[in-house]
Amino acid sequence: MSAHLIAGFTLREAFQRRIVLAAALLTVGFLALFGLGVWLGYRDLQSDPTTSPEVAASLIGVLLAGGLWSLNFIASMLAIFLSVGSLSGELDQGTLHAIAARPVRRSEIVLGKFAGFTLMLAVFIGVSASAMIVTVAVITGRLVATSWLAPPLMLAASMTLVGLAMAGSSRIGTLANGVMVFTLFSTALVAGVLEQVAVLLDNALLFDIGVFSGVVLPTRALWSMASAQLSDGGAFTEVQAGTTGALIAPSGWTLLVGALHLAVTLGIALRAFGRRDF
Amino acid sequence: MTAATPEPAIQVTDVTKRYGGILAVDRVSLTAAAGEVFGFLGPNGAGKSTIVKLVLGLASATSGNIQVLGRPAGSLEVRARIGYLPETFRFHEWLTAAQLLQFHARLARVPARRRAGRTAELLDLVGLGARANERLSTFSKGMMQRVGLAQALIGDPQLVILDEPTSALDPIGRREVRDLIRGLRRQGVTVFLNSHLLSEVERVCDRVAIINRGRVVAQGALSELLETQEVDVRAGPGAAEAARRALSAEAAASAGAAAASGEDAGRSGEAAAHDVQVTADGRLRIRAASDAQVAAVVRRLVEAGVPVYDVRPVGDSLEDLFVRVAETGDA
Repeated sequence: MSAHLIAGFTLREAFQRRIVLAAALLTVGFLALFGLGVWLGYRDLQSDPTTSPEVAASLIGVLLAGGLWSLNFIASMLAIFLSVGSLSGELDQGTLHAIAARPVRRSEIVLGKFAGFTLMLAVFIGVSASAMIVTVAVITGRLVATSWLAPPLMLAASMTLVGLAMAGSSRIGTLANGVMVFTLFSTALVAGVLEQVAVLLDNALLFDIGVFSGVVLPTRALWSMASAQLSDGGAFTEVQAGTTGALIAPSGWTLLVGALHLAVTLGIALRAFGRRDF
Repeated sequence: MTAATPEPAIQVTDVTKRYGGILAVDRVSLTAAAGEVFGFLGPNGAGKSTIVKLVLGLASATSGNIQVLGRPAGSLEVRARIGYLPETFRFHEWLTAAQLLQFHARLARVPARRRAGRTAELLDLVGLGARANERLSTFSKGMMQRVGLAQALIGDPQLVILDEPTSALDPIGRREVRDLIRGLRRQGVTVFLNSHLLSEVERVCDRVAIINRGRVVAQGALSELLETQEVDVRAGPGAAEAARRALSAEAAASAGAAAASGEDAGRSGEAAAHDVQVTADGRLRIRAASDAQVAAVVRRLVEAGVPVYDVRPVGDSLEDLFVRVAETGDA
């Protein structure tokens, strides 16, 4: 099996091309800003006699959701940028020809790259999200136990994007694939917001559209599931949720849909790349 | 008892490749024997790169069969025994030369204990030993081609497929590559050389195939392919007619001898008009089928009383053959 060689090569590329360094520096800045915001916000809330400590902690929870939403968005962008030209781009440049002529299965190239991207995203999301959760817990002295489930769900959301982008990259050019993935990602984002609005308006059709979009691309649904882990009640109140949280927690089916989505997109990538003429 | 014939390094049998409605390769058959340097020629767009990709398993044939080193093309076992320099020689430029070779050594399943030594040895071989730890992004085109050559050899391959290996090299670099190819042949490595540089092909190749419009139009040992050659003859008055008669008589004699022995008679006894032409400076340009036929025609001219002053071969024969093939689609 050479998949681990390809995965290692993918990671090494990220290090040597300073993608990791840039991401790390920006993440440190992002986390510092987040920590400062939480500290200042919580200090002001505590000094306000009209705000109870519970409400203050809850509002800081919303701040955590907002911070993680931003992190999830950055991770989504990272997932798309990393993988959208992972196969087609290398084919266009000709850098894959010498590698594919080696005793390496095409499937090992696809799975190796997928594993490399996943590992990068896992480290990025795991470290950053954990730092944010710990920051809030330290400042407020309050930690929702299920918060630790949010980072794996955020990773799952990014993995579905990687799978989708690699499926596209195995068949179409990088630019066309980028347009397709961004369009689907944005549509899922908007449809997810509509789903939350549908709950407020009690509109069944709008809600179904949101659910359907979650099946087409479950990134938003997985994020909703992740954000729901940040609230004691499994979902935010209307005031808390805004556009970044979840008024109702998605069911466990979301995980299954996510897994199926990933299996289908990776299957397409494996099949199409396996049959593709260089 | 007869000695067993070693299996061909590459055996392409009746292979066709279509890209949608475009016929890129049309019922091509060719054979590269083990241990030889095989030249693959053809005009741009003739189908050379497609054949190379089919042999490597980077593309799949629409129909036909390709065996490489006795196994189906593209199988992992075969690819472990092949080295390949792509025409574009594009590699990941964030790597150093040594890192590129080490990575390919791992992909090629070179044992860990040999990787470092083999890397250093090959970088020295291609003249890049001193720049092993420099990033490829700082390399010139020629240096990239050299490191690409080293990459092709990293797995100690039995078959090396070189797609335009000297296109970015200066004359010294080209000579070095020719020496390298000769060295591979001495080691028993088969080299499949796809090149536009006919002089290069002529200098190092044992056999060649010429492809045009997706079909192989000539294939064989260089000496055989160039047997149909032209000579420039400076002779006295009446030479053209006498030469045509001589050529017809010689061809008829050959046909008669072939028929008597039951072989294919080949060309008819009539000399084609284009076989004897008069050039602007009054010389005769005779296209004969073999060296023996040239000698026979000259002898008949002399016997007919036509004075012959000078006979010399015309130009670069492989180039002539290539141009003729490119223009007419026929060898």
